[in-house]
Amino acid sequence: MIDDAFNSLGNIFVSHKAIATIASHSALESYGVVGLAPKDLAEGLVQVLVKDPSLGVQVDFDGKNIDIDLYIIVEYGTRIKSVASSVADNVRFMVEKAVGLPVKSVNVHIRGLRISNPD
Amino acid sequence: MNSELNFPSGDGRALNIREKIDGQGFKELLEAGLTWLRTNQQLVNSLNVFPVPDGDTGTNMLLTMQAAYNEVSKSGEANIGKMAHSVAQGALMGARGNSGVILSQIWRGFARGLDSHDTMDASGFVRALTEARTTAYKGVVRPVEGTILTVTKDIAIEAEKKLSETTDMQVILEAIVKEADASVKRTPDLLPILKQAGVVDSGGKGLFIIWEGMVRYLNGQSLETANAVVQPLATMQLEETMESVEPGQDYEVVVDFRPSTPLDLEKFYSDLSEIGTSIQVGEGDGMYRMHIHVPTEKRYEPIDYTMTLGTITKVAMENLVAQMETLEKKADAKVSLAPVEPGQIAVIAVSPGNGISRIFASLGANGIVEGGQTMNPSTEEILKSFENLPSDKIVILPNNKNIVLAAQSAASVTVKKVAVIPTRSVPQGLSAILRLDPDGDFERVVKDMTSAIDDVETGEVTTATRNVEINGVEVHEGEVIALLNGNLMLASDNLDEACLGLLAKAGTDERERITLFYGLNINKADVNRIVDKIRQKYPSHEIELHEGGQPHYQFILSVE
Repeated sequence: MIDDAFNSLGNIFVSHKAIATIASHSALESYGVVGLAPKDLAEGLVQVLVKDPSLGVQVDFDGKNIDIDLYIIVEYGTRIKSVASSVADNVRFMVEKAVGLPVKSVNVHIRGLRISNPD
Repeated sequence: MNSELNFPSGDGRALNIREKIDGQGFKELLEAGLTWLRTNQQLVNSLNVFPVPDGDTGTNMLLTMQAAYNEVSKSGEANIGKMAHSVAQGALMGARGNSGVILSQIWRGFARGLDSHDTMDASGFVRALTEARTTAYKGVVRPVEGTILTVTKDIAIEAEKKLSETTDMQVILEAIVKEADASVKRTPDLLPILKQAGVVDSGGKGLFIIWEGMVRYLNGQSLETANAVVQPLATMQLEETMESVEPGQDYEVVVDFRPSTPLDLEKFYSDLSEIGTSIQVGEGDGMYRMHIHVPTEKRYEPIDYTMTLGTITKVAMENLVAQMETLEKKADAKVSLAPVEPGQIAVIAVSPGNGISRIFASLGANGIVEGGQTMNPSTEEILKSFENLPSDKIVILPNNKNIVLAAQSAASVTVKKVAVIPTRSVPQGLSAILRLDPDGDFERVVKDMTSAIDDVETGEVTTATRNVEINGVEVHEGEVIALLNGNLMLASDNLDEACLGLLAKAGTDERERITLFYGLNINKADVNRIVDKIRQKYPSHEIELHEGGQPHYQFILSVE
């Protein structure tokens, strides 16, 4: 749980999963990203059983900052560097806006490319 | 060819595209689109919905188009399929930003539609546009409508419709430009955030401009001067034109008007350019604003001319020479920052105005970042302000609640030891910096400075920009509102009353000292009158008055 210390009336707790859902949603709205991928075999297996909205997103919180790891699949034929930096920008912006806590890093892992149009 | 056009690379063969076009002709059109986009780059940049992640759409699209064109600039390829693939390749390699990536996908699809064709005719053109749309949409799982994607789609649909009527490619091209324009104008209806900001989608606008450039080239219109451009009123940035005052153009005239018949922009611009320079036209809700620089003897001409077009609602005229003098004076007043020695604690203050910057500097600030209510500095700007200082112990005073976050993320990405003191206003920042002991123990100094924040009551006086009701206070647009420690206290149509009312609410009776910083948007006579009134009401208080130079806020004040 992530504790938002800014509140004067009491504490607000935001779960990692909630943040992961925001991140996942904004990643999928980002151009060039055609999917999220399980980060390891275990997550892949779990995904078969339960549909998890935070697939391919890992959120870490060290008490002060949020770190996000994204495991994405990119459309073949797009410039991966630009796609990756714009998805990182997008996710950082949306999470900071929604949660109000600073995101220290967004690491983007390209887990694969989808070839929908072979040139 | 029109003599205004300056295309060293093309031989003008694109000018006859009615039946078909080859690779070289396509290259010419591309260059026209690129040139027109370059001319309108700032307009597209200005459409950004602040604060969105994709920074400068115009620049990103331009760099992408430039990369696409560079790929083929020296090519003599006549086969349009191969040419289009090279263009797509160039766009892909140079894609910058979100809009650039989408643009590169559009060209990629366009090229696929022309696969193994030597030349492009009307049906080939439509096929390429349809393919561009399909490819563009494939690049994202959840397409957001009201963006460049929507414009791409609308263009393809319109092109297909036109193909059943004509095989004249120029007619189709003109039709899609018209549709693109309409589609861009519809984007705020599809994407609420655009509507809130009062702008159209920047990426879609950029795409429209590329296609429009091609048509302008075919019609022999200039691509170098962004003339017939109407910007949304909300984004008109008149300050920028101040820097480019031509000698002899002594007056700036701004006229708001409502045309009685639909405005013929091309004619409007060419008529205006007879009178003066630096022409800008803004539009919002059927209301137009015209901005022009004219020589002294012609200062009434823009008004007389506009009168013939419709009803004038407002005229503003300013002497630019006098304005320039004050600007120069401002530039002279450079802030001299306090020096910092290695091992000492350095202080970075965020300041909304020049006067406030000077006060911070005189109290020992080692770095100033410009920023305030409506111009939040980025993490990077804050980072830059202290990265090169010789000290590794840094204290940041954000001085605005919206900047605290950016300051904290700057603190988190540096190796230096950084403390952000959550000052939410300028007076809080000032009372914090008064406790600064540069040679003291870092933790203790930070604690000291933080505790100073609560000793001061901060008041702000500004003008309401919309109707709202908060804390039981009803506010009408244009009224003067007063905030105490960030909370709305009262609204009044009278500036003097607002100031005095605010002081009463701040518990001034029990305090000793009132400090006032007056802003850019208030004149000295008003300031003196209000200070006199305060002095009458609080004769035993110590009153300090400073030039704050902050925008938007008539006064920032503190009571302690």
